[in-house]
Amino acid sequence: MMRQQAFSLSTVLATLVACAPALAVEYQVHGYAAQGFVYSDDNNFFGESSDGSFNYYEAGLNASVQVRPNLLFSAQAAIRDAGISDDGTLRLDYALADYRLLENLDSSVGLRVGKVKNATGFYNETRDVIFTRPSILLPSVYADNQNQRSLVFTGPGAQVYGRKMLGRHELSATGTASIERNVRKSDERLLVRLAGGIPFDLRIKDSWNAQIMDSLNGGAWQLAVSHFFGTFTLSTPETIGLAGEFDVSISTVSIRYNAEKLTLTTEYALNPNRNVVTLNGARLLETHIVADGAYLQGEYRINPRWRAMARYDASFIDRRDRNGREFAAANPTADRKSRMSRDFMLGLSWNDGEHWGVWGEAHWIDGTRILQALENPGPSHADRWSLFMLMAGYRL
Amino acid sequence: MRVDPQKPRERRAAPRAIGLLALLSLWLSAFASAQSAEIIVNPAQQNISLNRNLLRAIFTMQLRAWPNGPPIRVFVLPDNHPLSDRFYRENLGIYSYMLRAAWDRMVFTGTGLAPTVVQTEEEMRERVRSTPGAIGYIGTTGDAYSPRFPEPRAILTGMRQ
Repeated sequence: MMRQQAFSLSTVLATLVACAPALAVEYQVHGYAAQGFVYSDDNNFFGESSDGSFNYYEAGLNASVQVRPNLLFSAQAAIRDAGISDDGTLRLDYALADYRLLENLDSSVGLRVGKVKNATGFYNETRDVIFTRPSILLPSVYADNQNQRSLVFTGPGAQVYGRKMLGRHELSATGTASIERNVRKSDERLLVRLAGGIPFDLRIKDSWNAQIMDSLNGGAWQLAVSHFFGTFTLSTPETIGLAGEFDVSISTVSIRYNAEKLTLTTEYALNPNRNVVTLNGARLLETHIVADGAYLQGEYRINPRWRAMARYDASFIDRRDRNGREFAAANPTADRKSRMSRDFMLGLSWNDGEHWGVWGEAHWIDGTRILQALENPGPSHADRWSLFMLMAGYRL
Repeated sequence: MRVDPQKPRERRAAPRAIGLLALLSLWLSAFASAQSAEIIVNPAQQNISLNRNLLRAIFTMQLRAWPNGPPIRVFVLPDNHPLSDRFYRENLGIYSYMLRAAWDRMVFTGTGLAPTVVQTEEEMRERVRSTPGAIGYIGTTGDAYSPRFPEPRAILTGMRQ
């Protein structure tokens, strides 16, 4: 299915290149590839990391063709492996037509149609490209090892975007509507586990995303508010009659300060989840829980090649019970630290200014919220653990 | 901020004890680090007046066409070239790493094109001269070059905020 899409898109692009007048057409090809190494002193993260794991890599190749100044076509194919949370199968990351409806010196408005990226926080759109991330592991508000990645990441639909200069402010906005789509099998196993191996299908109903950003003084200050809403639907064969609806919304506030040497970033995400499970139409279970998380991050550019960074990141499954005590009281066998993760990290990176980059970082973590259960079977895990990650990448 | 071409020569005269070769390289590096950047455009775009907001929109790759219609083709030197850094700071009020982040966001979301990177100022002159709709930057060396934007001094003054 995906290969067919990629093929038809490349055919369209090739046709456009062949037909358009040579002078106006501009095309570019870019890509990235990076291999990671993960070692944890306890617990597994992105693979069998307690033994040291290379089961973490990402690569992508994209092409863009600007047929006219107001019409651009682009597509990217990508692969990523990250232990149990991603399986290295080829996917169509985006494929879109971008039509600029209006453009003048201080404003622009345009429309994108196809498979487009959701603008959530500062990093979601390019989250799998190490060259665009602040660190190997994204802060927990992006749920890199969690279950909502497949929901928020990208989707088929339409996106409107605009930009307006107002004095020293550059205001920009995007609004995205995505149509119903299937969830990959490799993601389904992370999201739903049914006893007795009952077969099920998981889909994402239409989802909505909006982001407004104010960029002050050429980007010295960036302030953004993003909102995402989507629903997973679960269905099982009629003879079983089990169904589910899982509403997920994510509201993110993002602030960044860019100075010559220093960049400070903070983001807060509020994440209400409403889960309804029915059996033959009768309500079996309904839960409503609001997760949240935030981080503060400092990056220091020692020189154009070397950069050091530090981050404190915390995330909680239930914002009304952040320390998990109420949960542990209600579930005596449960570990309250599974309801949170507090992660202090230090990182260092190097780039050659053109193609190569190397990243290294250490995380000291209290809590096990960011672990994947399938990668860490059994009821008990080390609450305090640390993670060491290395990555080397090439871009073109 | 334009460099007085006399100043490096004065600097050259001072350390007499140093050998000629070392002296020359010192002179060259002093000259290079003090070099200002100047915007160059393809001759067909000479009559467009540039201000800081327009330059920012062009070099962040947000503006795709010149006000008079043709597509904009942006040429830059490598990110870690001293002249790039100077040009982005002084003429755009943006640091090099911020521009790279803006370009990467476009390139890896399929929402825009990245500028074309050239390796030398010579190549920059040649590509800007020969590419319709092109804009780029070079170091101010004092020699007159025809496709250079008219009255660069006035433009630079106008862009300071």
